[in-house]
Amino acid sequence: MGLRSALIFGNNEYGLEIARNVTNKYKSVTVFSLSGIEEYVEDNHYKFEEFDLSENWDTLSSKYAMEESIIFCSLSDEAKNIFLTISLRSAFKDVSIIALAKNNEDANKLKMAGASKVIPIVETTASIITDMLKKPIITDVLHKILYDDSKLKLVQIEVKDASCFGGKYPAEIEWSRDHGVLVISMMHKGKSPEFIYSSKTKHNLVENGDLFIVVGYEADLEEFKKFLGGGVC
Amino acid sequence: MNFFIRLLVDFAYFLDTSVWYQKKRRFFYNLLENDDYKYKKYFDVFMMILIFISVSILIYEVKRTAHDALKFFNAYIVSLIFLIEYLLRLWISSSVSKVIIHQDEYSDLLGQKFDLLFVIKRIAKDKLEYIVSPKALIDFFAIMPFFHELRLLRIFILFRVFKLFRYTKSFQTFTSVLATKKFEFLTLGMFAAIVIFVSSVLIYVMEANNPNSSIDTLYEAVYWSIVTISTVGYGDVTAVTQEGQFVSVVVIFAGIAVIAFTTSLFVSAFTEKLEDIKESKTIQDVSKFKRVYIICGYESIAREVAKKLLRSKMHIVVLDDDATRVELAKKDGLEALNYNPGSVESYKKLNLDFDKHVQTVLCLRENDVQNVYTALTIRSINDNVKIMSLLMNHANKSKLVYSGVNEILYDKEFVGLIAREYVGQPVAFEAIHALRAEESNIKIEEILITERVSQTTVTVGDLENIKFRVVLLGIHKKSSGRFYFNPIDSTLLETGDFLLVIGNYMFIREFMKSLSKKEKMKG
Repeated sequence: MGLRSALIFGNNEYGLEIARNVTNKYKSVTVFSLSGIEEYVEDNHYKFEEFDLSENWDTLSSKYAMEESIIFCSLSDEAKNIFLTISLRSAFKDVSIIALAKNNEDANKLKMAGASKVIPIVETTASIITDMLKKPIITDVLHKILYDDSKLKLVQIEVKDASCFGGKYPAEIEWSRDHGVLVISMMHKGKSPEFIYSSKTKHNLVENGDLFIVVGYEADLEEFKKFLGGGVC
Repeated sequence: MNFFIRLLVDFAYFLDTSVWYQKKRRFFYNLLENDDYKYKKYFDVFMMILIFISVSILIYEVKRTAHDALKFFNAYIVSLIFLIEYLLRLWISSSVSKVIIHQDEYSDLLGQKFDLLFVIKRIAKDKLEYIVSPKALIDFFAIMPFFHELRLLRIFILFRVFKLFRYTKSFQTFTSVLATKKFEFLTLGMFAAIVIFVSSVLIYVMEANNPNSSIDTLYEAVYWSIVTISTVGYGDVTAVTQEGQFVSVVVIFAGIAVIAFTTSLFVSAFTEKLEDIKESKTIQDVSKFKRVYIICGYESIAREVAKKLLRSKMHIVVLDDDATRVELAKKDGLEALNYNPGSVESYKKLNLDFDKHVQTVLCLRENDVQNVYTALTIRSINDNVKIMSLLMNHANKSKLVYSGVNEILYDKEFVGLIAREYVGQPVAFEAIHALRAEESNIKIEEILITERVSQTTVTVGDLENIKFRVVLLGIHKKSSGRFYFNPIDSTLLETGDFLLVIGNYMFIREFMKSLSKKEKMKG
């Protein structure tokens, strides 16, 4: 229970599906219906509220700790969704906003409107379908790792005690033999994640604050987390 | 007599049930008549080469004397091949045994005597129908040079050129298009014939007795009339009298009408049949694909899927009952047909063997009702083909399952799962999705362990993937159908297993090459 609230704008199938999936990651999940337009369907799992596009969001900031919340904009009307995103961004500069777009064209507009992350529905669905057709085994394995409740997990772990690596470069470490996990990527000092055997990673020594993207079984990952957390090596 | 009839009927039944005979008959039918038969094109090319050789020899002989061997080849070998072809075509044109069996069953049913005369007449009629058909006549005349001693018959070698039409599909398309306007062409022909006849007679009457006129005979009058009506007007034969010139003016106007009418007939025939021609071309192209994806419905998601599959050089055919969407698919470079994906007739026309040629059917209409209907249609044709379908409303999931869909694609679920992963671990999410992005250099790939690779690379330790900077995520074992993550070095590799590797695509390629090199070294 890291973040406090998930605020989902759009009482539709997309919004409710997001609510279902993020409900165990937040203290409270609230689904907002666009007043007078979206059908007001409630169930017992989440809180439901109405909102208006002309709002100045004062009520929102008084009710929720916005700096610790996440917002999903999933209105079915693209223009209204963009308007909502820009309106929320102007009110809350630092909040994380994830917006749904119908396609890449709308995704660009939503990014310009200030969305932190945009999910273009058509392209995402098409990518998943083609992956299923072209690489069925990989798609199945990744699906299980990412989304199913399998014991195999993909996690990001922060390095807290880099001294454990004794000045070694990431590519020199035999992760699977030493720790039973596979390190796929590494994010060095706030840069974008790089593949573990890429040239950039090869020349970066492991430092505190680096992030590792690791695949492994839950138990091994816990051990690895402790190892990176310091005090074990 | 009865004994003879019994013998004939028994023999007919024997032929009809003989596997060997029917197999041979089917083989020759496919070779000569079935455009979808893969060896027919080789046969056609062979025959066309023979025709070209034969005609080349004829042209050469006009002013020179050909070598005896060439003459022999042209007169006997080529003619003999054409004769065999002619007899084979005559054989497969109709089934004699079927006529006899049919008559026998008919007589049995009605308790009548077997009518041998009727059978002979029927067989003769069927065969004669074939013999007098234009194509068979050309084939027959093309054999004539066999009797090359009769010099007149040598001209029949030109019929061999006409035989070319038999082997060129475009000419068949051309004639079939024109055949749709048979009535109009007949009307035009009648009109032209009357104009030619009347004008020939008139010009003959006006000009024949004039010593300055070049029109002296009725033949010359007909020639003048045809040259004038066709608007060619050579000018070698012209009217000199005032009356004759008046007739010329009338014929010129009639000629313009005939030409305009003819041109419009050709244009309208082709315009009307253009879609059919394109359609049959698409079906022909699709039938050449070894493995094809059928996309039913071409809306936004289908369009993206098709684009991605096309980039991976996969074969796709789009079926949609909306002409605008079909046009869009064609513009996107796809094979597309304006067929209803929910109709069995569409797949019959497509003429695809689902088990052999169809990889997967994708029901991608953004409408659950249509997808259920399409899935059921396909299941009614084939039980085994893999069907994937979009689901738009979760309440309809069970209907898609009941209609026989193997994989349901629910975009809202995808969005929900992605949102969950993103909010939990944004960096891990970005990293893993970067691996799946088409433009990324880092790829996640499946590598099949072939029988030869498994002979040289026995265990995971033998792979040496680290040397190629490739991460081995795990192995998908064929025997158990399970995925084994991060396998230990002693894990055995078996034929049919898949390695799941992550790395720069160039290094993955090198790694794959190293596996095949090991094969060669062993070899």
